[in-house]
Amino acid sequence: MQEEVFNELADLALKSSGQAIPKSKSYLIEARLAPIARREGFGSMADLVHCLKSRANPIFAAEIAAALVSKDTWFFRDRDCLQRIVEDVLPKRLKASNTGRLKVWCAGGSTGQEAYSLAILLADEMPPALRGAKIDILSTDICKVVTEKARIGRFGHYEVQRGLSIRRLIKHFTRLETGQWEISEDLRSRVSFRQHNLLESAGGLGKFDVILCRNVLPSMAKPARKRVVESLAEQMMPGAMLLLGSGENLIGITDKLEPARDFRGGWVAAGTANAEASAA
Amino acid sequence: MKTCLIVDDSRVVRKVAARIVRDLRFEVMEAGDGAEAMRMCRENMPDAVLLDWNMPVMNGLDFLRSLRREEGGARPLVVFCSIENDAEHINEALRCGADEFIMKPFDADILESKFAEVGLV
Repeated sequence: MQEEVFNELADLALKSSGQAIPKSKSYLIEARLAPIARREGFGSMADLVHCLKSRANPIFAAEIAAALVSKDTWFFRDRDCLQRIVEDVLPKRLKASNTGRLKVWCAGGSTGQEAYSLAILLADEMPPALRGAKIDILSTDICKVVTEKARIGRFGHYEVQRGLSIRRLIKHFTRLETGQWEISEDLRSRVSFRQHNLLESAGGLGKFDVILCRNVLPSMAKPARKRVVESLAEQMMPGAMLLLGSGENLIGITDKLEPARDFRGGWVAAGTANAEASAA
Repeated sequence: MKTCLIVDDSRVVRKVAARIVRDLRFEVMEAGDGAEAMRMCRENMPDAVLLDWNMPVMNGLDFLRSLRREEGGARPLVVFCSIENDAEHINEALRCGADEFIMKPFDADILESKFAEVGLV
């Protein structure tokens, strides 16, 4: 890929979604934009960039920007973490809130596997402490197409075989004539999906008891990470927890959050981790 | 090192599967049908069996039923690996004692994911 072309697309990714794509990973740009280039009949990435620059089409630019973000996800990715959210974090939040209602947000949830995995766990292994609670799960992604795919809840041959046991597949999915597998209406009704750019204000989404933003931040430039994390922190109810992927941390990114005492990968409002440990 | 018996009448499938399973640090044995697999199990019961459905001489389902009746035959974790991927066939495999089910075609990610599902990796 020519340097000018790479620079244009990398700059678009940085400005629109905070993604920092190094030159050594220019193949990611080609792989992620190839379907759009094919659909639009562009012979090369240079043609695509030329079109972006010559025609002021914000919808097309937004589609390109969204396509540049990784969509890689699978069911029950980091199963132990999801299990502990259901068995430990949510019951504690329910006890503390006294409203009988819990709100969970999968931020950067791609095609919905993380949100549906939580819904499956809640359907199959609901802890007694959560019985009767109303648990709303919201999954958001920057990409409209991906959000729509998640909402429809249809997954391909490879997607349903990564992380999902055959018993859960048979129990919660129906095989369609097309060969795709459709998740049950019951599980679809437990999760809602919205298009949302994490760089923008999340005020309209409300406040949450648990926010999962896993494997999203590492591909972002540091200023974008700070902006996203502080925006997520704004949407945390008092006592809420932010869950990052394993190996991710916020040291040097923000002082608004600190590591949770009893939950690796969990972050709580600064100054509350000790209070939470003593309350527990 | 754990052992895995790959049972499939396609030499190509066995070769592809064997490479993936070896990468998961298993010692691999191969059989081209259920009857050959049964003889190998009687000699040396494996830790895992990756099992095709449609094969000559003895199909995967008949092999699985026989295996589960053998002394020590309850122990191997059996992962079916078949193009028969509708709910009816999958349920039948589970009823006969399969622990997991891979729908062909498969790749290394799927095989590793399914082996992890039953605690083999």
